[in-house]
Parts: sequence; structure tokens; C-alpha cells
Amino acid sequence: MQLIKDKKVAATLAAATCALLGTQPAQANEQKDDAWQFDTAILYYGESDRVQLVEGVFNAKKDFGDEHIFSAKLVVDTLTGASASGAVAQPGVQTFTRPSGNGSYQVNAGETPLDDTFRDTRVQLSGQWTQPIFENTRVSTGFNFSNEYDYLSIGANASLARDFNRKNTTLSFGVSYQFDSIDPVGYAPIGLAQMQLASEFDSEEAFRTAFDATRDTEDKDKDTFDVLLGLTQVINKRMLMQFNYGYSVVDGYLNDPYKLVSVVNDTGLTLRNLHENRPDERTKHNVFWQTKYALDSGVIDVSYRYSTDDWDIDSHTIDSRFRWNISETSYIQPHFRYYTQSAAKFYEPFLEESTPLPMFASADYRLGEMDAYTIGLKYGQTLSNGHKWAVRAEYYSQRPTSDGTAAIGVLNDLDLYPSIDAFILQFNYHF
Amino acid sequence: MIDLHTQLSSSFLMTKLTAELDYQLETKEDFIIGRFNAMASPCELLIDSKDLSLGQNLMSVAVNETRRIEAKFSRYKNDNLMHAINNSRGNPVFIDQETYQLLQFADTCYQLSEGMFDITSGVLRKIWKFDGSDNIPTATQVRQILPFIDWQKVVFTPTQIILPKGFELDLGGIGKEYAVSRVSNLMLSMAPNNSVLVNFGGDIQVSQVRKDKKAWQVGIENPTNAKGLAVVQIREGGLATSGDANRYLLKDNKRYSHILNPKTGYSIENAPRSVTVAGIDCIQSGILATLALLQGQQSETFLEAQGVTFWCYR
Amino acid sequence: MKKINIKNNLQKIVFLLCIAQLGGCASLGVEPWERQFLAKEEMALDAEGVDLGLDDHIYFSKEATSGGRAFAGGGCGCN
Repeated sequence: MQLIKDKKVAATLAAATCALLGTQPAQANEQKDDAWQFDTAILYYGESDRVQLVEGVFNAKKDFGDEHIFSAKLVVDTLTGASASGAVAQPGVQTFTRPSGNGSYQVNAGETPLDDTFRDTRVQLSGQWTQPIFENTRVSTGFNFSNEYDYLSIGANASLARDFNRKNTTLSFGVSYQFDSIDPVGYAPIGLAQMQLASEFDSEEAFRTAFDATRDTEDKDKDTFDVLLGLTQVINKRMLMQFNYGYSVVDGYLNDPYKLVSVVNDTGLTLRNLHENRPDERTKHNVFWQTKYALDSGVIDVSYRYSTDDWDIDSHTIDSRFRWNISETSYIQPHFRYYTQSAAKFYEPFLEESTPLPMFASADYRLGEMDAYTIGLKYGQTLSNGHKWAVRAEYYSQRPTSDGTAAIGVLNDLDLYPSIDAFILQFNYHF
Repeated sequence: MIDLHTQLSSSFLMTKLTAELDYQLETKEDFIIGRFNAMASPCELLIDSKDLSLGQNLMSVAVNETRRIEAKFSRYKNDNLMHAINNSRGNPVFIDQETYQLLQFADTCYQLSEGMFDITSGVLRKIWKFDGSDNIPTATQVRQILPFIDWQKVVFTPTQIILPKGFELDLGGIGKEYAVSRVSNLMLSMAPNNSVLVNFGGDIQVSQVRKDKKAWQVGIENPTNAKGLAVVQIREGGLATSGDANRYLLKDNKRYSHILNPKTGYSIENAPRSVTVAGIDCIQSGILATLALLQGQQSETFLEAQGVTFWCYR
Repeated sequence: MKKINIKNNLQKIVFLLCIAQLGGCASLGVEPWERQFLAKEEMALDAEGVDLGLDDHIYFSKEATSGGRAFAGGGCGCN
């Protein structure tokens, strides 16, 4: 062996020893991962006889080295079908004016009135840039833009995260601002104005005049300001937790321009339908806790969220996923979610003629008391080329419940709180 | 020594702590001697001072540092970095700077020895059990294990390591010497005016020359004799022994040394039973001694070329 | 020859350690080399980000609460 002739071994070793024991930190060769990573997904969401949604996501992410990360996301979705308008079902056929004022539609006896003009395509684009600013601190800024034919939203966010305690603790602080502009079909209805019906007028002109009188032609918009405080903590080798507190203020036009509230007489029969009216400000507080626990062949992910706001909507959400790696390259993941909320203080399934008109009223099922469950199953696989695909199927069941309002007369025999059952199918591909 | 366990065993935390700081201090005529057990060896510090509080401070730091290194790199624990790496099944494992530096050092040793010093060769222990018997592994056993030895297949960066599936890392050939050198350097920084000799089972380093220039006298297992102690006089630098006169296999009158060739999977032929080297520091001495053993018949020639003081026992 | 009683010092250290434990988070966490589980892709808090984004959109349009995990936001005419 040549080694024995080499007199330099002892000297080289001495130098290597100095490097090993020396206090000079080793020069770190930062690894640069210059490949773009793409995440794509297509989702189908279908409610029986109601809303159907197809949504596509294309997400691109690139690490430019030294933790300088850019990501961009494009989301396109198409919504068709109808959702409950808020008006109550009746023993007879009901007629409703379309939001545009052009024409009307009828709802059969005993059926929940739906707004059947619901059809929309939305395009959303967002980008996010994250980079370290000094030791253990990262800054992240982003923008987003979303457009549908009656709605435009632009927003920006910024956050700061700092690692402590050997990167076992991360504190973050973020703010976000969102500006939304709403341009409802046929202009925004004036809150609690009565829906006009063409059949009650002698001429088209007379109806149009009355219809226009219920409309507010001013531009409608709203501002959303969010603050998010986060704490991420590594508990042990297998467990980490996240705690978030979120504060959100929304200010502006918060009505759903297509929702109605029925005014009924003492036998429960609808006398007229009013356009809903909500307060123009809402302040929300969110507390979010998440734990992830690594098993030898899987991950348990449980989160809980409590939310409360000045509309008196309190909600609890439990979301849990259990990923089970069935082989080196594949896994199955059951998902269970439970959600419950209390009703907004101005939620009224219907209004009674005999009581004075409140300042705010909405019969939107989404503001009422409800419980919802999701159960799902996902299967994912990593291909030999490193690409990944997954498919998930979920079932979502929403059960609105009475907040204590007693049904009147004929309403006792009708479904005031129709439930929603939806099926979700999603396919993911990562490359 | 006080039985700390009876005094303080009221909680798990305390029991654990006493175990970590379990050491003994003794004063001699002109120095202090501290003893503890770690890394499967008796460990001692000779401190050139009569100041007991200095002795306590130095000992607690030395014991903590030694236990830290042992806990982190021992392959006999199942909750440490070595275990994580050796059970990573080909997945990347995060490492810190110290580990990176040790791997860099192991890489230098691999390059210098042209592949003879290979920290992936520990898997050979699965088939070679040096218990003095005649259980030589079969050619098939050797052939089956060789694919799991090749340092060049190990990929590492300053922050992570990828060890191929089935491979194992063993820092046993560096760990104790590294701990001795680390502790010696710590002693030098904590006691810049006092010489400290660190001796972990015969692997030795002196932090600096004693004030009166006298040599430290220390007993080590006699490398030239399986029994008894040899007294070594050491003034500065390091001293380390590789090889173990008592670990071998004997079959058909052929002696198989416990120094294994990572390239063939067999014992190094004609290797000395042990080699002791006196070098600049403990790590350098230890690696030189190991590299010398790996030269087999030419151990002495190799060491002579390096210009270091050495003892080969054949 | 003299033997040293290190018990008192030990008790001090034990006491200090207990205080540190009470300090909370400082004692939680792992060393960098103990992150083999935490470093798994599926342990990232934003693992399945696409799924979470789609879920957020669905539930934002069907329920009164949004956000928590991230900004409650707006950006959708669906609620």
C-alpha cells in the first residue's frame, strides 16, 4: 500500500483534528433545491339537487435557495345549481322574481325555495414570497386576486415568524387586508325591502319602477382586516402543536344580495318576502389548536377551532385525520370533521306579521344553528419517478337545527331547516 | 463516596441527575484526581492544582461533556442520533454541526487510508464475534455482508445524512478519542493555568505542560502484556492504543485479529495485537494507531515514516 | 487523602433544574438530530395544503366560520 510511504498522514490527521475540535464553525454549503414543485388537484362537490362545484387548483412552488421560497396558486371553479334562498316552503306554489328583475320562477308546494340562477365561474390567483430576514426570522408577503362575474376581491398579507429554542418554538405574527367589491345582478337590494312580483302590477313599466325602488345602485364593497398570532411548539420527537389566535374585522356590505326572509301570518302562510339585511360590521375571534403526532407508520392530526363573533355566532370545529402508511409508497387516510355553530342574533327562519320589523334579519341557513359532519377517506401513492397522486372521497352532511323559534301553523308541517348532503371527490397530482 | 442514590432517589429526575454527576475526587500530594465511569471505561482526570472547588468545577464539566458525547454517538442506545441514523432505512436524517464535523473527519480518515478506515464496516461485527473461539464466519456470510460496507455510498451535507438501507455507522473508532480531546480542550479553556491529564481507559491527552514541567505518570493497561499495568510518563500531547490483545479468534493454529479489512471482510493478516502511539493529541494518536494496525505486517514501517513515538505489540 | 461531599451542590442543581422545568417551553423540544419523525413531509403543518385550501373554500361557503388555521380572509362571493 502506498499509505505506508506517505509521511504526510500524521500531519494531515493533525490538521483534520484541528478542524474537528476547533471552534470555527464548518462552512455550511447551502443546498439549493432549484426544481419547481407542482401540486395540482381537481375537486368535484355535489349536493343532491342543489349546488355542484368543480374546482381546479394549480400550485407552483420554488425554493431559490437559502429558504427563499416563492409559491403561486391558480384556482378556477365553476358553480352550478341552486341553494336555499331563505324563503320558507309553503303548502302552495310560490312565485319569486329573479334577482335581475327579468322574469320569475316558481317553487312547488312543500319544496324549499331555491335560487336557481346560481351559476358562476371564479378565477383566483395568489402569490407568496417567503425569505429569512435575519437569524431565525422569516418574513412572508403575499397577494391574492379573485374574480367572478358579480364579485372582485384583492388582498395582501404580510407575516413575520421567528424560531426560538433550537427551532423548537416558532412565534408568528401576520396581518392581512382584503378589499372586496360586489356588483350584484340587478343591483343590491335594499335591506328588508319587499321582493316585488310582476304579477301584482298592471304593466311591465309599473313593475320595473317598483323593482328599481328596492335597489341601491351604489357600489357595494367591504374591507376585511385580519390579525393572526401563532405559536408552533415541538413537544417531543414525535409531537408538535400549533396554537393560533385570529382577530378579524369585516366592514361594509355584508348582505347576501340573493337571500330572502319570508313574512308569514298567524297561520304560517307567506304574505311577502323581504330581502335580507345584516349589520355592516362583524368582528370575529378565532382560537385554533392543532396537534400532529408521528407514529412509526403514520401521522395523527387533530385540530380544534373555537370561533366567536359579535353576531353571536359561536362555533366549534374538530378536524382529525389519521394517515396510515400501508407501504413505503402508499397510505390511506380516514378523515373526520365535526362542526357546530349557534345562530346569529338576527337569524330568523321567518318573520311574523304581528311583530315589529327588526332592524336586521336573515334566514340564510348558514347563519342559523347547525351541526355538520364530514367523513372521508383518502388514498395516496408515490410513483417510482417521485411524483405523487392521491384520491379522496368525502361525505358532508349539514343538519340545520331550530334555534328555538316555534313554527307557526302550516310551517309545522314543512321543512324549515332543510339539510344538505354532499359528496366530494378529489384527485391530486404532485410533480 | 456518598451513596447519592439513597439520599436523592425521591424522584426520577434526581436519580438521573445523580447518575450523571457521579464522580469521585481525591487529593494527592500536589494534584487532584477525579474518577468516573463512562464509555465502558474507567475515566480519570489528573488536575495540577490543590484547589478542590476548581477540581469540582472541572470534573462536573468533564463528566457532563463525556456523557453528552456518549449519549449522542453511542450505538448501544436506542434513543440517540446514531440510532436514528442507523434505523433511517435510507431516509435522510437531520444532523448538527458537530456530527457533520465528525463525518468530515471520518471521511478524511477514509481518504487517507485509501478506504481501509471505514466507519460503515461495523456491520462485520454481526458475523465476527471475537470471543477467543474458533467461530470463523463462512465465505457466504462474508459475501452477504460486504454490500453493506462502503463509506462512499453515504451521502451527507452539513444538515443531513442519507445512509443506504442496511448500512450502519459506527463511530466507535473515533468516539472515545474524540471525547478525550474535547474534554482536554475544555479543561484548557476552563483552567488556563493548570495542566489536566484526561485518561479514558488508556486514551490520554494532556491539556498543557505542568507548571513544574514534570511529566504526568499514569498507569495504562500494559499493551505489551495481556496482564498488569504499565506506567506511562507523559508531559504533553496525546496517547492512544488500538487493538486488543485479548480479542481474537483461533482456528487451525491461525490467529484472526479483531482488526477487519472492510474491503475483504476478513481479518487483517499479520496485524500487531496492539499499537500505542504518542502524538499531538488523542484523536490523531488513535487514528494513527488504527491505521497502523490496518497495515498488517507493515505497521512499524508506517509508523516510523510518520515520525511518531509508538509501541507495537505482536 | 480526602473525599469530597458533592451532595449540597447537587441539591442546588436539582433545585435549579426544577425551576427551569417550571419555566415551561424552554424544556420542551428536541435536538436537531432527534427530528427524524418531525422532519417527515407528512408532519409539516402545511402538508396537504391543497386539500386544506379546498376544504376552506367549501366550508367558507357553507358555514358561518372561517379561518383559524390561516387568515379568515374573504375573497369569495360565496358567503
